[in-house]
Amino acid sequence: MNEETKVIYEKPIPLKNTYNAPYWDAADRHELNVQKCNTCGIYNHPPGPSCANCGSIEVTWENLGSNITGEVYTYIVSHRPFLPGFQNDLPTVIAVVHLEDYPDIKIIANVLNGNAETVSIGTKVKMVWVEATEERSIPQWVFA
Amino acid sequence: MEKIREKYAIVGVGESNRSKNSGVTPLELALEAARVAIADAGLEAKDIDGFMSYSEMDSCSPHQVATYLGVRPKVVKEMFGGGSSTELLIAEAIGLIETGQVNTVLIYRSMNGRSGVRMGGGGFSIDALQNGFDGGSFIIPYGAGSPGQWFGLFATRHMHLNGLTQEHLGHVCTSFYEHAQRNPKAFFYGKPLTMEEYMKTAHLSSPFTKHDYCLESDEANAIIVTSTERAKDCKSVPVKILGMAAREVVSHAHYWKNIDEVAADYVAPQLYKAAGVSPEDIKVASIYDCFSWVVLRQLEAYGLAPKGEVGDFVSAGNLRMDGKLPTNTAGGMLSEGYTHGMNNVLEIVRQVRREYEGTDRQVEDTELAICTGWTGPDVAGAMILCK
Ligand SMILES: [Zn+2]
Repeated sequence: MNEETKVIYEKPIPLKNTYNAPYWDAADRHELNVQKCNTCGIYNHPPGPSCANCGSIEVTWENLGSNITGEVYTYIVSHRPFLPGFQNDLPTVIAVVHLEDYPDIKIIANVLNGNAETVSIGTKVKMVWVEATEERSIPQWVFA
Repeated sequence: MEKIREKYAIVGVGESNRSKNSGVTPLELALEAARVAIADAGLEAKDIDGFMSYSEMDSCSPHQVATYLGVRPKVVKEMFGGGSSTELLIAEAIGLIETGQVNTVLIYRSMNGRSGVRMGGGGFSIDALQNGFDGGSFIIPYGAGSPGQWFGLFATRHMHLNGLTQEHLGHVCTSFYEHAQRNPKAFFYGKPLTMEEYMKTAHLSSPFTKHDYCLESDEANAIIVTSTERAKDCKSVPVKILGMAAREVVSHAHYWKNIDEVAADYVAPQLYKAAGVSPEDIKVASIYDCFSWVVLRQLEAYGLAPKGEVGDFVSAGNLRMDGKLPTNTAGGMLSEGYTHGMNNVLEIVRQVRREYEGTDRQVEDTELAICTGWTGPDVAGAMILCK
């Protein structure tokens, strides 16, 4: 990007911590990495120190790659910015999406090109990655 | 909790002045509410040996309140919490009285919710929001920073699956605003809301308009809990706790992991078992109303309206004075005032006492009353009261 087109990213950038770092590190590479429980087999998202389904500490990470599609499970359309950066992006669609190939995984993100008229429960979307800084990227949804 | 059926009672209720800008500290508001509640019970401050409160870092400590009432209590307890904390503290008070540690407990919630720390946002740093919520990094970067948005995700899907419409939300709002017109102390007294006006109001965050959000106010509320035996020494009509489920939680810590269930679904069976009554026995209600949809969802959870028919139930006017279940008859948090639910507790106590007898504010049948608390989809509590 040259100086004229460089846009400063004002929205909150995900804070990495012990439990979520593998997810956000993969996001920076434009991949989806999800924690999985080796004991009961569920995908443990959001990730944590152990499985939120069975309590097992046998949790590992599974890389699902970059070709991620899903369906809107539920959503809201926000017309007021409650956090910085969103004032330039109204209305904001915030959607819970369940993944097509892994229906028990639900991931929240914005439907970037959606609005109240175009998004509904069942809308098909695919994951894209928005570069917030040179190092950081954030998964988002657009219409599939 | 079956063992304590009718053994404990709320014997005093009181509130401070309610305003947009109190001009005083939460401590002064709390003292005002406490003095009113103590006088209402016909007690003296020194009769209170337990002081409890909940807050979200926006209040004063129970030790301070006791001190400035000139009391040296046996127990003080403060907790971090919002909705359903009243029920939880009542249960704790009962436990302490039952085990002989205290006799009489005053519980309050005091906040400059409008002029001070506002729940609607702005009070917390962004990093604190991300770190404070388990899984916060998965919601805050997407702009989901307020309860209206989190609960809205539940509401959109629940409404979609159960045939609930904007107009059904409107019936909750207009019913409660109508109640507020009989309550000169309500924030929206003199400001009725018609369905036409409601339907013309834009979404702040779908499916909620500004009318679907609770208001923000500066005020304190207080209640006094003691044994039914000791209540005989009070001048007030005791309102007995028939049963309660102080708190129950959903199966997952993350709000949006299981968007199809809420904690109230788990509270309801415990509550009715404890009280030994059925939902159809209940004729008056205080239902936690931080958002209009939260009322619809709880009507379903507590079996007060059949699942799938909640919309018809509210459209038929059943939340109004002449309906099957007059609800939040002081106006609720949508139109009376906001103290994380305690104002709704005060009103249901006054209804059960029949304090409004002879006026159009008195609900006809108040034999059995329900009062619910909702922290969020994740945590809830409730109680059933009787005279
Ligand atoms: Zn497991």
